[in-house]
Amino acid sequence: MKKLTAIAAAITIFGAGLSASALAAGGHGGQVTDVKDWNTGEGEQSVAMTLTPDRENGIEVYEVCSACHLLEGWGMTNGTFPQLAGQHKNVLIKQLADIRALNRDNPTMYPFALPESIGDEQAIADVTDYIAKLPMNPENGKGKGDNLALGEQLYKDNCVQCHADNGEGNQEKFYPKIVGQHYAYMLRQFEWIRDGKRRNANPDMVKQIAGFSDADMAAVIDYVSRIPVPAKDVAPIGWQNPDYN
Amino acid sequence: MKKVLLIASTVALLSGFTASVSAGGAELYQSKTCWSCHGKDAKTPIIPIYPKLAGQNKDYALNQMKDIKSGARNNGQTAAMMGVMGLVNDAEMAEIADWLSSLK
Repeated sequence: MKKLTAIAAAITIFGAGLSASALAAGGHGGQVTDVKDWNTGEGEQSVAMTLTPDRENGIEVYEVCSACHLLEGWGMTNGTFPQLAGQHKNVLIKQLADIRALNRDNPTMYPFALPESIGDEQAIADVTDYIAKLPMNPENGKGKGDNLALGEQLYKDNCVQCHADNGEGNQEKFYPKIVGQHYAYMLRQFEWIRDGKRRNANPDMVKQIAGFSDADMAAVIDYVSRIPVPAKDVAPIGWQNPDYN
Repeated sequence: MKKVLLIASTVALLSGFTASVSAGGAELYQSKTCWSCHGKDAKTPIIPIYPKLAGQNKDYALNQMKDIKSGARNNGQTAAMMGVMGLVNDAEMAEIADWLSSLK
């Protein structure tokens, strides 16, 4: 009876019949294991990519996101929330669609990502376009700086093929920009990808980093956190987003 | 320095400077992103299965925060909150709990 009540409540809340336990446990699918399945573009992802973004609505929708990612889109230097500003639009669309579809577990963000909170595919197009154009944090969180030579070597040997020489990533291929991202956030995601906790991880990356020790991981992420953000993409220190009062 | 601060805040607490204490709790409630899920007024959660906090007993609220942070409590919707608990220490949790209990 309790279970029935819980399910009924969940249906009322989410409309789509997602149970509260799915929300708490996160997800209903497994890990992506074949790279062919990593980015199928199913559902709203490919739709959102074709729509013309509306900046005014992007600003309105982003206000929901700003409760955690801040009005500047800079996240938190301690890595609790990642920087979103300046991220490739395609990456933002894919990750947001994956979180909505429960292909990436993010119980903290999940209720905010729902159509009831932010809107449909048009809203995804609007908000991701807005975020991608925000200037980036000039003071992202960094590591200890104690093993940077190893980090640089590991980066050159393992990461440049997808994330590029300076952490630029690749908009067309949905590879995230990692330059300027907070150290602690990247470290957490890297560990989850290595250990199979991030279900929408690119299987090629999972294989590539399988042999990384915790020390290797800290070294390479520390190196990445210190790659300078190109001057054209970065905001002045203390910049505040003028689109909000 | 920490000790001085602690003594100062204890004195403030004991002398009934509730206004300053409440301001601290209110500010933390926003800056630590509590309000994102539980609502700006602490009684309008973003989804109905998240709890209303306004007027909650101070010790109960504090213990829930501590237990969710430590992992001693990991049922229900705690996975959603666990990820942000790195933002608060024991003193800040106590301030937030104190402020929440003062709300109607």
